[in-house]
Amino acid sequence: MAMVKEPLLFARLPLGARRLLFGLVLFGICFLFAFPVLWLILTSLRLESGVYYVHRGTEFTLGNFAEVLQDERVVEAFANSALIATLATVFSLLVTVSSGYMLSRFQGPAARTWFGTIYVFRCVPYISWVLPLYFVAQSWGLYDTYTGLLLPHIAVHICFFSWLMKGFFDGIDPSMEYAALIDGCTRWGAFIRVALPSAVPAIAALGVLCWLFTWNEFLFALILTGNKVPVITVVMAQFVTEMGMRWNLMAATAVMALLPAFVLALFGQKYVIRGLRL
Amino acid sequence: MSSKTTGRPLFGEQQRFMLLLIAPAAVLLTLFQVVPIAIGANASFRDWALYNPKKTWVGLAHYQAVLSDPEFLWVVLPNTFIFMIVSVAGALVLGLALALLLNRPFAGQKLVQTVLLVPLMVAPVIAAIMMRWMFNDQFGIVNAVLEGLGLDGQPWLVERWTAFGVILMTDIWLWTPWYTLLLLAGLQSLPREPFEAAAIDGTSTWRVFTHLTLPMLRSVIVVCVVIRAIDAFRTFDIVWTLTGGGPGRSTELFSLYAYVLAFLSLDFGRGSAAAIIGGIIILVVGAVLYRVVDRLART
Amino acid sequence: MKDIIRRTLIAGALGLFVAGSASAQVKELRIGYQPSPIQDASIAMFETWGAKKGIKIVKVPNSYGVYVEKMTASLTSNSDQYDVIWHNDDWGQLWAHLLEPTDDIPGLEFAEKWGMDKVVFGNAQGQNTVVPMGQTFSVFFYRTDLLQPNEVPKTLKEVVDVSKKLQAANKVKWGYVGGMAMNHSWFSWFWSMWGNNCDVLMPFYERDNKVLAQNGWKSSLAEPCMKETVEYWWDAINTHKISPRGMPAYDRNEANAIFMAGDAAFTVADSLWWGTFTDPAKSKVATKIAAARFPLGPNRQKNFAWDDIWGWAIPKSISADRKALAKEMLAAMMVDEEGQMKLWKSTGAPPPNTQFWPKIAAQDPFMKLLMEAVLQSPDKVRGAYYFPQWPAVHKAFNDAVTKAVTGKREDIAKVLAENAASVSKAAQGQ
Repeated sequence: MAMVKEPLLFARLPLGARRLLFGLVLFGICFLFAFPVLWLILTSLRLESGVYYVHRGTEFTLGNFAEVLQDERVVEAFANSALIATLATVFSLLVTVSSGYMLSRFQGPAARTWFGTIYVFRCVPYISWVLPLYFVAQSWGLYDTYTGLLLPHIAVHICFFSWLMKGFFDGIDPSMEYAALIDGCTRWGAFIRVALPSAVPAIAALGVLCWLFTWNEFLFALILTGNKVPVITVVMAQFVTEMGMRWNLMAATAVMALLPAFVLALFGQKYVIRGLRL
Repeated sequence: MSSKTTGRPLFGEQQRFMLLLIAPAAVLLTLFQVVPIAIGANASFRDWALYNPKKTWVGLAHYQAVLSDPEFLWVVLPNTFIFMIVSVAGALVLGLALALLLNRPFAGQKLVQTVLLVPLMVAPVIAAIMMRWMFNDQFGIVNAVLEGLGLDGQPWLVERWTAFGVILMTDIWLWTPWYTLLLLAGLQSLPREPFEAAAIDGTSTWRVFTHLTLPMLRSVIVVCVVIRAIDAFRTFDIVWTLTGGGPGRSTELFSLYAYVLAFLSLDFGRGSAAAIIGGIIILVVGAVLYRVVDRLART
Repeated sequence: MKDIIRRTLIAGALGLFVAGSASAQVKELRIGYQPSPIQDASIAMFETWGAKKGIKIVKVPNSYGVYVEKMTASLTSNSDQYDVIWHNDDWGQLWAHLLEPTDDIPGLEFAEKWGMDKVVFGNAQGQNTVVPMGQTFSVFFYRTDLLQPNEVPKTLKEVVDVSKKLQAANKVKWGYVGGMAMNHSWFSWFWSMWGNNCDVLMPFYERDNKVLAQNGWKSSLAEPCMKETVEYWWDAINTHKISPRGMPAYDRNEANAIFMAGDAAFTVADSLWWGTFTDPAKSKVATKIAAARFPLGPNRQKNFAWDDIWGWAIPKSISADRKALAKEMLAAMMVDEEGQMKLWKSTGAPPPNTQFWPKIAAQDPFMKLLMEAVLQSPDKVRGAYYFPQWPAVHKAFNDAVTKAVTGKREDIAKVLAENAASVSKAAQGQ
């Protein structure tokens, strides 16, 4: 691995050259990583006639953004996506923190059964699931409603997050909770007042990731919504029509959708790294 | 459910507590995952065309048809496993390298870290479309750069292995930040003392890495590998967008196979059967992987 | 006797009352559609009618990628979601049993007969289930800055020769560019196949499912005409280099992007693209586009055209008064001259009422060309097949020809023969 030999080669070089090389490598990695997104941003600034041949020609415009923002559905979709992502995050964390706590603190058939269930359903492919979900949503009157979009978005995270939450609680010493129990604290008290506060950083980290997942989620939104609850990924997809793809508008919308995610990642990464200790 | 003696006297109370803890999750899981999946499972035993659901019982006919389809056995499954292994291994190695890089302080560390998280922020479908255009042989920037350097541009998506390469690259790109985050969090929570001791002993960097860092990151790596392997196995949207399983059916993965049956052939019954077969395979593979990776990391 | 009359009167009055109050309850009609210029123009006519009648037109846009899947699921689960839905020849037989017969809608006698054929949209009882929205078909586009009308290739061989000449003179990068990937087969594979007197299933051009079944849904992949078609494209890409190497993976967005950037002399696209190709905001060659008939292969002498309709349909599951109102709206659309003229102008699609066609042709030479070359052509081809497994057959066909054209030239016949069975199997739902 390059990483291993690096110090040896490095050591022979003068400090300035070492720094320069390190900087260049870093820049290269960052450039490659960010490139598709930079290219997307560049695309969104191109006229429709030059939106595929991005590297050819120099006319740029903000017109795509103006056109997209004039569409009330796009604005509504941003609000909806933000709302759904936020609510889904809050509720996902609420239901999985207790489920993960149970998996971590208890052994025996009940916990094993629950863990098995979670594992099995984590493995089920989406393909076998989305269409029946559509039937179910329709027959329960949840199709194209906020509830009908929100609840599956919570459900989809249960398996994965319960698993991670278990990991978080495994890393927290349970002796404090036993002490609290002996002191006459109820089990709920021990969970909420003793264990939960230590898990807050982890929960916050998961929250950031959950929000990003839901914000960018496409398949469920596509299947479960019609026109009453437009969300941003579905609205983007609607720029693809029988008459071709309005790639300039799609790119502009995608770039705008990138912004909230970017802000969250920018300020949230600290908490994610601090919290995501399994 | 039988209860296990845990040394505490309040069996009933403990059971109630356990059930209450998982109740909200269990209810949601049942309504929006168990019930739909049961409907799909039911359909897999029936004559259930999407446009004309007769719903007559056909037993294991759909399973038999899928399992005797040479395309499924010799193209789709191998493709899926190759994809899973390369995607997970690639993103793990890259993620680990980046996590080690970010774990030491340098000027601009925060900036680099933010840039490396960029793939997390994009909707995967948009990323896949962008990649497809970037690898177009005519207007794609990749060929434009190659031709600018005096090299030959390639028709990336027309040949099986280059198309597969583009798919894998996109997937690894999308998922590396996720590994980086988890592993970086793991690295930063490691105790300092063993590393300081190793430094005093003059242990080589490689030995520190293999004998200290890797074993201590064991649990994180296990979770990363197993969970991502399951996800990689059922990858759908980026492949569908990038190649549609083509050229021919040479990059078709298992979930595309099920999708085509259910939504192009409109045979919901057989599509469900294929999905369930895939689900069972990954269930077993995941469990085995968990054991293997756990043991490997332990030694 | 008196009793009977009185009872009849009462029943009649009651009936009127019920009907009156029921139709009074229906205040809106819900349209399930897919935003695009032609559908928007058609819905504009619904809205004109709705404004007059005090009926609200609720537009429910659907995503393109999953339109058929979601609508099929909606129709089979009898959910009361839409009163009028976008319908297309590709799904004619898929949905026929789920749709309300439309034969009793006044104005349909003005619709074009070929597109409305029972083979496409008829149900098991022989009733039609569609109301036309407009005609769609593909045409061969060329660049007027590169070629005079008399220089436009008339045969597939001439496409190669003319392209090579243009490329040699450094006038254009590529000769022909068109979509080839799954679901975009029309823009290279299908037109060149029909132009060489070939088709997906045998007997050629047969669309009656009974006849196709009698022939065992036989695939024509192993026929010489199909081998010629695949070899033609293999040569175009690899030997003559008039088409880019990436073309077998192109969808129409990619092909049209290259054409609109001015990098190709020819393409085939839906006639509705005329508006896009000639729009300076979207196309670098906006003022340099014209359309012509398809070039022909060695096996065909007579010109051909393909022509299908897009349409509207009414789900069987909605209530009787909603059906009645929806039919009234569609009948009004069929005779809305002003609205149909607008539809033509905004899309280049011939409108549903054939009585308006001569008037448009008198004003617009493009329509005159379309009428001569396509609409009144005696040799028409249907652009799809009309059985539920058609998408599966289409995919099996596309997979086979893609595999053949991306492989070695000497293996083409072998690959096609090997995959012929998969097409027939797909047709039989196996």
